[in-house]
Amino acid sequence: MEEFSINTRKHDDIVLLDLNGFLDAHTSVELEKTFEELLAQSSNKIVVNFQKLSYISSAGLGVFMAFIENARNNAGDIKLCGMSDKIYNIFDMLGFPILFEIYKEEDTALEKFA
Amino acid sequence: MGKSHKITLSSSTKNLAKVRDFVGEQAAESGFDDSTINQIILSVDEACTNIIKHAHKYDENESIEVETSFANGEFKIILKYKGKAFDPNGINNPNMKEYFSSFKVGGLGVPIMKKFMSKIEFDTKNSDTNLLTLIKIIHG
Repeated sequence: MEEFSINTRKHDDIVLLDLNGFLDAHTSVELEKTFEELLAQSSNKIVVNFQKLSYISSAGLGVFMAFIENARNNAGDIKLCGMSDKIYNIFDMLGFPILFEIYKEEDTALEKFA
Repeated sequence: MGKSHKITLSSSTKNLAKVRDFVGEQAAESGFDDSTINQIILSVDEACTNIIKHAHKYDENESIEVETSFANGEFKIILKYKGKAFDPNGINNPNMKEYFSSFKVGGLGVPIMKKFMSKIEFDTKNSDTNLLTLIKIIHG
């Protein structure tokens, strides 16, 4: 299995990131780079789809924490969707739903930017 | 003590996937359900990430020995490494409300380990070798 990859799509002014594989301290650097590039280009509306992500550790969670404030300060957000129960449970156990909008469906996450 | 299994890997985040696979296989053989296996795998990943980052400062010349064993309903993972000692038991869990309101990054590895493992033990042997033991007790 490919260890980690990101597929990027566009939906109007929203960027969609499909995460594949596993997100740990090794692979999270790639996601960090992607967020840095998007925010530098003022692409501040981002939806991350977790459907094909099989694993996340706290290094992966940290990437979302590192960029959400910047996105929100620039009239954007990082919304999350498509998580398996296994991945959602990690986010939930640590209280991430306090700060992040997490949706089951990608369409719902996109609609929330309207 | 039951049969133990051991691997030694260079201290690199590149090897986290190998550690997860190894620990996952041994936990499955010990009879844990999938959800518990995932919790054990994540806890060991967090422990190794902390060692790579804080004790070894990403120096790949350093190594981590991972030893698993299962006896009397206890699955033990012993991480043996040199370098700066770090006892997770000495770290208090962050206040998550404050954590999120100030957009903090990092520091979640220890709370994850504490939440998912039954016991964590830390011992410094021969002054420069550390033994971090994560224990999961099987139920039912």
